Amino acid sequence: MKKNLFIPFIGLFILAICAFYYFNQAPSQKLEAKQVPPVLFEAKDFYKNELIDTQNLGDFYIINFFASWCKPCLAEHPLLMELQSKGIKIIGVNFRDDEDNFIDWIEENGNPFEYIIRDDGSIAYEMGLIGVPETYFINNKIIQKKIQGPLFYEDIETYL
Amino acid sequence: MKILKLTSNFLLVIFLLSLFSIGYSNENKLNDYFKTIRCLVCEGQSINESDTEFAINLREQIKIKTNSGMSIKEINQELIEIYGEQISFNPSKNHFLLWLMPLILVLVILMFIRNKLKFFYKK
Repeated sequence: MKKNLFIPFIGLFILAICAFYYFNQAPSQKLEAKQVPPVLFEAKDFYKNELIDTQNLGDFYIINFFASWCKPCLAEHPLLMELQSKGIKIIGVNFRDDEDNFIDWIEENGNPFEYIIRDDGSIAYEMGLIGVPETYFINNKIIQKKIQGPLFYEDIETYL
Repeated sequence: MKILKLTSNFLLVIFLLSLFSIGYSNENKLNDYFKTIRCLVCEGQSINESDTEFAINLREQIKIKTNSGMSIKEINQELIEIYGEQISFNPSKNHFLLWLMPLILVLVILMFIRNKLKFFYKK
């Protein structure tokens, strides 16, 4: 009788562990079904002064949050340039930056972005940004992958 | 005439003081709320103490949202939807499993020891 009790306890224990891990997943792992918030498409491109043409973007595109004051953004910049050269469309979101510094930064390092949106922080809030740089891989309007921190070659090699 | 002027001045002071106290209490309420929101960059701190860009932005966005008429409860709900439960120092989810886990663990270990001892004494 007591030995029989042991098995349900083990089962309950395993169930508790599973439930614990399910409820404590990091938000980035739960992002799979999250859509791109509409606020991004309500903002105008800095250079062209027009809204983002979602048809021009296609099904797969990248959203990259960057700032001129952010050193890791500079480190990942060559990878973004490489992605652009392979025809991948990138929306750059310039996060809480000085306009002159941002213009100088783009002139100095090149522009890999199809569209550049200047963000006062509201888009970052809606997207759930933690810090710059941060990159979102979008497929069919759904956030497929989110990378916090600078991109590495391993993160993008499948897209090149 | 003098009395009328004095009364109107007195009323004006009362009005300004009440406006100031409303503003002050709203500011206090917001600061108290900021203390319950975790800074996800430096996780030990709340956004009230943290000076990271994340915390500064979140404070600003929350202020904008409260000024536009959103309640703290609605903002809290929205924040949890965006960042997950970990954004709050007061998670709303019932973590009974978390509290129950040590008890289950102790019970399992005790039963295991008891079975082992029984087996040992039978020998």
